[in-house]
Parts: sequence; structure tokens; C-alpha cells
Amino acid sequence: MSAEVLILLVVFLGLLLLNVPIAICIGLATVATIATLGDVPTGYVVAQRLATGIASFPLLAIPFFVLSGVLMGDGGMARRLMDFASSLVGRFPGGLAYVNTVTCMLFGAVSGSAAAAVSSIGGFMIPQMEAKGYKREFAVALTATSATTGLLIPPSNIMIVFAVVSGNVSVAALFLAGVLPGILVGLSIMAASFVTLRFLRPAHTAGKAAAASITEMVTMPVGRAFLGALPSLLLVVIVLGGILGGLFSATEASAIAVAYCLILAMFVYREVKLTALPPILLKAALTTSVVMLLVGASQAMSWVLAYERVPQMVSAALIALSDNPIIILLLINVLLLVVGTFMDMTPAVLIFTPIFLPVVTGLGMDPVHFGILMIANLCIGLCTPPVGTCLFVGCSVGKTSIARVVPSAIPFFIAMMIALMAITYLPWLSLALPRLFKLL
Amino acid sequence: MTALAKLWERICRGLEIFTIALFAALVLDVLWGVTSRYVPGIRPSDWTEELAVYLLVWISLYGAALTYRGYGHLGVDYFVAKLDPSAQRLVAVVVEIAVLIFAGFALVYGGSRLVFETLASNQLTPVLQWKIGYLYSTVPLSGLFICAFCIEHLIKLQPAGSHATPTDI
Repeated sequence: MSAEVLILLVVFLGLLLLNVPIAICIGLATVATIATLGDVPTGYVVAQRLATGIASFPLLAIPFFVLSGVLMGDGGMARRLMDFASSLVGRFPGGLAYVNTVTCMLFGAVSGSAAAAVSSIGGFMIPQMEAKGYKREFAVALTATSATTGLLIPPSNIMIVFAVVSGNVSVAALFLAGVLPGILVGLSIMAASFVTLRFLRPAHTAGKAAAASITEMVTMPVGRAFLGALPSLLLVVIVLGGILGGLFSATEASAIAVAYCLILAMFVYREVKLTALPPILLKAALTTSVVMLLVGASQAMSWVLAYERVPQMVSAALIALSDNPIIILLLINVLLLVVGTFMDMTPAVLIFTPIFLPVVTGLGMDPVHFGILMIANLCIGLCTPPVGTCLFVGCSVGKTSIARVVPSAIPFFIAMMIALMAITYLPWLSLALPRLFKLL
Repeated sequence: MTALAKLWERICRGLEIFTIALFAALVLDVLWGVTSRYVPGIRPSDWTEELAVYLLVWISLYGAALTYRGYGHLGVDYFVAKLDPSAQRLVAVVVEIAVLIFAGFALVYGGSRLVFETLASNQLTPVLQWKIGYLYSTVPLSGLFICAFCIEHLIKLQPAGSHATPTDI
């Protein structure tokens, strides 16, 4: 390992442990490393990479999807989606658990953020599940894990980040590639609910109703519930249809989503007033800025990583361990799982994509497939301690503690892990749809 | 001192309003780009994409400064949370100094060099023919705001045994 790479690692890890904002850790580690190279104007290069790293048209989709998420999130959309979900799966024993997961998946198809799904859906699903006798910890664990499906189901902000940092991967291809894996993770979580409720500890975990196979809720007819959810679901049609039909780019689709949500929230549902718009814009701008500062700093660091040939180094080290692609992918998965427990998803994707992507493409893996693998993997980390955004939001919404939720979450972790293995080793799960639409 | 504090609050509120205005402009800009392309009878605009990416840089950097003021950036607080309060206070000072170094060196100094060298080479945006150097001015300016917020954080940080109120600057 060269001295420069050592400096990069030591500065980055040292600052990270001190709780310096991750974007600044990346930035300062980059500054320190470039400074030791000698002949490069450090401040100029970092400032330039940072600014040009943000100035990218595909990244514009992020503020717009964040804004439409904020516009829709506070309104009654989550509840309408839940009515639709319960009309589909609510009549089964343990129905509320399945309704929770399906609502999260539908919400994911409208918004690009998992934490927003936990707070909007958990806010009313957790009390409702508890009222029917489910253990609160079970409801929190279920909501937190189910919400991560929204990161695989398009539109998804993290896919845009991956597309930009990986160079020239198409956002549209990634969006489509996430559909089947997202559904697979959702189904796996539902299977985990089924096994827990039916076999593991029915009376303890779930309500009497679930244990005794009684329907827990009065459900609306499918048709009426569908009509209620239609305006929200239409957003998916506009965004995905527009992108796939070649009518507009992902960025333009996201801007149209903003216009659509604005009209829906202000004039159809009448849940957002004109005076509420400036604070909504500010909230979306600040959320965006967190991601963008990370993107800009990472673009500066990826210059150093490439200059120091770090991907080649990691690749050589991995291949020295094994030349079997199955083992290498397993190693990468284990490493990302460990990283994911400590680090949020966006910085993890930004830091590890430039390192691992050249390794796996060297093995003949499609970048789109790797992006989906990485996101599915890091979704697990969002629900695990010590750092897990979805777990934290779930615990605060459900007013319980992390230590109490984690045991209930274990069946869901196992389910997500099994889905991750399928996503890793069955490339067609990710690649079939983009190929069908001639995006790959 | 409270007059200074009041002025500072005004400046920060101004920065918020400016960021909101930039975001509103960004939404309208991209929507106009799509509209002009698909509505017959309107000449398609080719400048909207160009403007949009610079608006994004501005929103991101000023937003990042404001987010820093509210302690909103992602960090790994797991290890620091295990320390005792006096050690935590020390670490908080180190964090502010680290951010101050980055914002001062990379954003203010490096950003200023970026502005001047881009102006000197007279680079223009392809369609609007605007000087890119001016568009980059947001890098050193947002850096100055982050430095100011670091100092604000340091002042608000109460030393052990002091009874100063956090707003007393």
C-alpha cells in the first residue's frame, strides 16, 4: 500500500470516528492525499471536482424526487395506498402484517426515500397493529425492513447517485432493474411474517386474530380502494411510462412528478396551502444538499482513488484470496454488510462504487446488476444497529428501543439476506426487464 | 451584542429565502424546458439544462451551509456517544476545527482560485454565453458561510462551568 493511500485511510477513518460529517471526512482525506502528491494545486482541484461533480443533469432528479416526496408524504397518500393494499391482502390471517409490507412497496413506487416511508406508514400502521394485538416491536421491525423495498422499487434517489458515480450507467435501466428485486425482497419479508406468525411464536408476536386465523380488518372492495389510490399510482405511470417511452429523461420526469404532486396536493386533495410551499421547498433543498455535498466530495476522492490505482489494488487483493467469482461476490457482500451497519447508504454507495465496480466488471458483471446488488445489500444495514436510519425512525415513531426491536427483526434480516443471495447470483432478476425494454 | 446576533439571524434567514427562490427557479426552469419541447408553437429552449445544473450547484452548496448550521449532515456518532460529556465537548471542538479547515482551505481558498482561473481563461457556458467563473463564485461564498457557522457553533459550545446562554453571542 502506498503512503498516499495510507494517509487517505488514516485521515478518513480518524475523522469518521470523531463524528465529523462524512462529506467533510471524505473532503479532508482527499485534501491531505493530494497535498502529499506535491505537484498538484490541492485546493483548486478539490474545489473544481466538487463543483463539477454536482453540476450534472442526471443528479437534478434527486431534488425533484425529494420535493415530490415531501409534497405527498405529509398528505393522505400513505393512507390511501394502505386502503388499496388492505383490499388486496388484508383478508388473510395476519393480514395487517402483509398490508404493512405492500403499503411500503406501493409507497416506494411513489417516493424515493425509505425513511419517509417508515415515518408516514409506521405512524398509523404501528398503532393499528398494536391495537389488534401484535407486539409493538414486531410492527416496528416489519415497517423498518419493509420500507427499504422502496429503494429498489423505482423511482429511487440512491439509483441516481449510483448512476452518476459509476460513470455512464443509465438511470432508466437501473429503475427497471430494481422492480423484480424490490418485489422479491417484499415477498421475502411477507414470507418471514407468515413463518413468524404461523410457526415461531404466533400468540406471542401477533394478535389473537392472526393466531386464530380470523380476518383482522374490514376491507374496502378492490375497485373502490384502487380508485382512491389511483392519483398516487398514476405518478408511477407518468414517471416510468415517460422514461421508458422515450418521452423524457429521468430528470424531466422528476420535474413533471413535482408539478403533478403540486397540483394533487394543492388542488385535488387540498392538503397543502400556498403559504406552506416555502418551508416545503427549504426542507427539500436541505435534504438534497446533504446528498449533494457527499456526491461532490466523493467525486473529488474518486479522482484520487483512480490516480492511486486503488481499484486495481483491491482487485488484486480480492483475486489473491480467490479467483472464483462466486467467492469474490460473497466477500464483497460481507464487506458491504459490515460497512452498512455503520454507514448510511449514500456515502457507502459513493465510497465503494469506484472501488468495487472495476473489480466486478472485470469478472464480467453488468454495472446495472452490481448497482442493484449494492443497494439490496445496504438496505439491510439501514435496519441494523449501531447505525440504521430506518430502524431509528421506526423506533422513534413506535416509541420503543432498538434493543427491544432487534430480536423481532431477525426473521426479516434472514429473509432479506436470502433475497440478497438470489439477487447476487441470479443476474436475470435484475437484467431481464431492462433487456426486455432494450435499455441494455 | 444582541444587535449583532439579530443581524446574523437576518442574514441567515436571507440565505434561506435565497435558497428557496433558487429551488423555485429550478423547478420552473426544468418544467419550461420540457414544456417548450412538447407544446407545439413554442420554440424549444436549449438553455434550460445549462442553467439547471448551475442552479443545482448553488442550491446544494448554500443548502449544505444551512444544513451544517442545523447540525444536519450525516456522521457516525456511534463511538462519540460512548464518551463522557467532557470528552464529547472536546471532540465537538475538534469537529468544528476539521470543518473549518476544509471549508477554509478547499471551499474559500481553493474555490477562489477556481473562480479567478476560470475567469482568466474566459470560459463561457455553451448556450447562454455566461462566464463560468461567476457561476462558481458560490463555492467560496458558501465556504465563508460554513466557516461562519463553525465559529457560531464554537461560540455556542458552553465551556464547563460557564453559565452563558447559547444565544448570547
